[in-house]
Amino acid sequence: MNIQILDSWLKEYLKTEAPAKKIAEALSLTSVSVERVEKWKNDHLYDIEITTNRPDLASVVGLAREAGAVLAEFDIKAEFIPPKLPLPQKPSGQKVPLTIINDSSLVNRITAVVLDVSVRKSPALIQDRLEATGIRSLNNIIDITNYVMRTIGHPTHVFDYDRLGGTSLKIRESKRGETIITLDGKQHSLPGGDIVAENENDEIVDLIGIMGLANSVVTDETKRIVFFIDNNEPHHIRKTSMALGIRTEAAQLNEKQIDPELALEALLYGISLYLEFADGKVVSDIIDIYPNQPKTKTVSVSEKQVQATIGAPVSLSEAAEILRRLGFPVGVSGEVLRAEVPSFRSADIGIPEDLIEEIARVYGYHNIPSRLPQATTLRAYNPEDSIFYWEKRAKEMLKYWGFTEVYTYSMVPEEIYEGRIESALALANPLSSDMAYMRRTLVPSLLAVMRENKQREDMRLFEIANIYEKQTGDLPRHLLRLGGLMAAPQINFQDGKGIIEQLARDFGIRQLQFVPLSAGGIGASVILEEQNCGNIEVFSDSVLDFELDFELLAKHATTRKAYQKVSKYPPIVEDIALKVPEDTSYEAIVSVIQRQSPLIRHLSLLDRYGDTRTFHLEYQSDEKNLTTEEVTAIREKIFQSLRSQLHIFPKK
Amino acid sequence: MELEKELLSLKNNAVSLILDAKTPEELEELKLQFVGRSGSLTKLLKELPKVPENERREIGQLANEVKTVIEEALERALEQTTKHRQAERLLTLKQQIDVTEPGNTPPLGHLHPVTEAIEEITEIFSHIGFTRVRYPEIEWDWYAFEALNFPKNHPARDDWETFFIREAPHATYGPMLLTPHTSSGQIREMLKAEMPIRMLNIAKTYRRQSDVSHVAMFHQFETLVVDEKISIADLKGTLDYFVKSYFGADRKTRIRPYHFQFTEPSFEVDITCGACLGKGRLPDGQECKLCKEGWLELGGAGMVHPNVLKNSGVDPDKYSGFASGFGVERVATVKNGLEDIRDIYSTRLSFLEQF
Repeated sequence: MNIQILDSWLKEYLKTEAPAKKIAEALSLTSVSVERVEKWKNDHLYDIEITTNRPDLASVVGLAREAGAVLAEFDIKAEFIPPKLPLPQKPSGQKVPLTIINDSSLVNRITAVVLDVSVRKSPALIQDRLEATGIRSLNNIIDITNYVMRTIGHPTHVFDYDRLGGTSLKIRESKRGETIITLDGKQHSLPGGDIVAENENDEIVDLIGIMGLANSVVTDETKRIVFFIDNNEPHHIRKTSMALGIRTEAAQLNEKQIDPELALEALLYGISLYLEFADGKVVSDIIDIYPNQPKTKTVSVSEKQVQATIGAPVSLSEAAEILRRLGFPVGVSGEVLRAEVPSFRSADIGIPEDLIEEIARVYGYHNIPSRLPQATTLRAYNPEDSIFYWEKRAKEMLKYWGFTEVYTYSMVPEEIYEGRIESALALANPLSSDMAYMRRTLVPSLLAVMRENKQREDMRLFEIANIYEKQTGDLPRHLLRLGGLMAAPQINFQDGKGIIEQLARDFGIRQLQFVPLSAGGIGASVILEEQNCGNIEVFSDSVLDFELDFELLAKHATTRKAYQKVSKYPPIVEDIALKVPEDTSYEAIVSVIQRQSPLIRHLSLLDRYGDTRTFHLEYQSDEKNLTTEEVTAIREKIFQSLRSQLHIFPKK
Repeated sequence: MELEKELLSLKNNAVSLILDAKTPEELEELKLQFVGRSGSLTKLLKELPKVPENERREIGQLANEVKTVIEEALERALEQTTKHRQAERLLTLKQQIDVTEPGNTPPLGHLHPVTEAIEEITEIFSHIGFTRVRYPEIEWDWYAFEALNFPKNHPARDDWETFFIREAPHATYGPMLLTPHTSSGQIREMLKAEMPIRMLNIAKTYRRQSDVSHVAMFHQFETLVVDEKISIADLKGTLDYFVKSYFGADRKTRIRPYHFQFTEPSFEVDITCGACLGKGRLPDGQECKLCKEGWLELGGAGMVHPNVLKNSGVDPDKYSGFASGFGVERVATVKNGLEDIRDIYSTRLSFLEQF
């Protein structure tokens, strides 16, 4: 969370000549991130990001204490001035009754008091400071609760005493379905297990730690208030606040475990403000119920450990001085430092490493040297064994063949999930039904991209990503797939197959087979050494897609080349045209031709037209120049075999 | 001596015709006419046996000379006319070429900016001995949170921030979820027990979020170094090396205090802004909108928490380590000046074709 604080407000508790910019820089480098310093009227406004472990810094006083500790490291004079918290005078005359029944599993500490007040506008100073900090000014009574929260760092609440419906409050957990109307007029049905306060008539009068309710809120007619400070069990607050979507600043602070010691400081400071700005008069005893007082803990760290982690020669006395300034009572004996953890840091500090962080950050990360880790044991690296190597190679290849790479979501809607939706890996808490299932195939996502770009007739897309396959009792298998899509006014099976063949060739894979799809669809399964390696599917005259098992491809891929000695003797080259019956496959023809002579060194399909197939042949010997007679003999043998085995005749 | 005269006159005739010829085609014709299979010289040579025996040798010699002269003349002329013809052709070609017309290009597709970034990051870290790995995206709670020292009730573990899978939880490892960070790979890497470690884990990660700076699926790259005597200084050096390599030698790095469950101390890593060069203000005096006071947040880092080492079977008394986790999209957008991180997941070709 971010908070905004005026420089003049901070300097009420921090005595220093340092300009705002300098303070911001010092805090950013050693403590908490001041994201911006802006001019604000005649003042400066800090915008500060508070990390979840440092709710103690979400206040003017907390920041002043921290700044006082770190500015010295930058040779800037600065002194923290703690707030004055006078005990109020005991009420004279008849005391107003107030009873609070706590549940210590829900609330760690409650401080409260009843005051007579007059409702009016806040003084300009409070209005301005609240406005700068991003809180709307309403009236003096409400403003003081916010002003105290920002100054001391503990959320506070105020009830109209006369609207409480009695003189006692009871803290309890809500039941599911109980309804409340918050002070902004919105009705909520409680999820159950929320911390609430109820009155004598069993009516809920507060959603503790999150927001006040309409039935007990202060109005212009209010004469008496209960100033009420509750230090809560943080997980209850988080759960309720998220479930109801009420993210007030009080909720955001309360879910971070605020120091319960602050509950009394906030009360006292608030009373002093009500006395000063609301004609306040204390009319009850001060209530302080404190069942869960944290124990003080002590953490030790050795000089050796400090220096080894930081990588710089920080001495133990330097370390002790830093911790003392941060509010830790410290003792040093020999090589070991013992620090007592102050209450406002008790949720955050527990082990030696935590102390090292405190020491290192104030010492200054910018003062620590920068060096590369020393060389380590040599381990062999063979690119051939790395799937990343092949992934990069395939992606580049596809790029240079005109493919554009896309990244689509792993989560898909039901409409494009392939397979039985009942057995799909489903998200328990999807953001929307568009991203509800973990996909089992890539191609539907590519088709969706195509539809999104429907004004394009020509496109080639690919993606390499995991798909997920459910397994009982274990994590799903993550299978890396290469998906491709080709669209053009005219496209056919061979266009897709050619891409896969060429990719395999570059990978050094020679055993790829294509067999017609067994069930439905036009296309082929791709087989690699008897394993299914994916498929090509002809979607229409103008669209085809393919999806390949990339891990299998990478497993068979090799950087070794199958080298053959080049013959000294030139090849004899010729093209032969054949008339082929309709149902004869290319593969059948090739295997007959190739069987006829070892001198046929190269054979390829040159042209395909009607029932005519033209093949290109090269005859070559390693031992001698072939004669026309020898080649003629082989050719005759080829024609004869084709005729007798496949009823194929040479074309005249 | 009739034949001698005929030979000489044939020679003169042939040579003058050859010299007059303008094209290779004419010369081919002359070649046929004189020295071809049925050319006039060939015919004359057939008369040779009829010459009286005492003159035959002399005439024979002459005939050979004539043949050589004609052939040489033909060859020279052919060479010249061919050269001439080529020169003419080149001249026409030159007149026909418009060098300003576009070329005939081979196909060229596009790699996604995320891929470009991943490849670059991989190369940069492999130079200093990091090995790239990839660990599960669908993960058990234990690897994603528990072993990383997240308390049971930590907000990141609730339904509002992390995606859960509707499957039965594992008896030991808890619920099944989509890992929200590559840090789960730290645990898997350390459990392999191959010391020392220099890991670069790049993988898809998922968070239940969607706004200007967040998408539900994104990529992170995580470094993990575990060895004896690893300190904050080693982390600083590695971050500096990466930033200077990826963004440029003029960019500066700083680490600031931050908070993560699985590192202690924890840092936020910033680099100087490329737009205002770290000044926070543009040359015209305007405040730089891209950065915060001259700095851009890049990601998180820290020294591996002793509980994380212990949970992964590593002895924290012997070993220490550092880790960093950055968003791939984040570094790519910072480098390329994209303002909305969601743009990077646009599947509009008009967007993708710019990369």
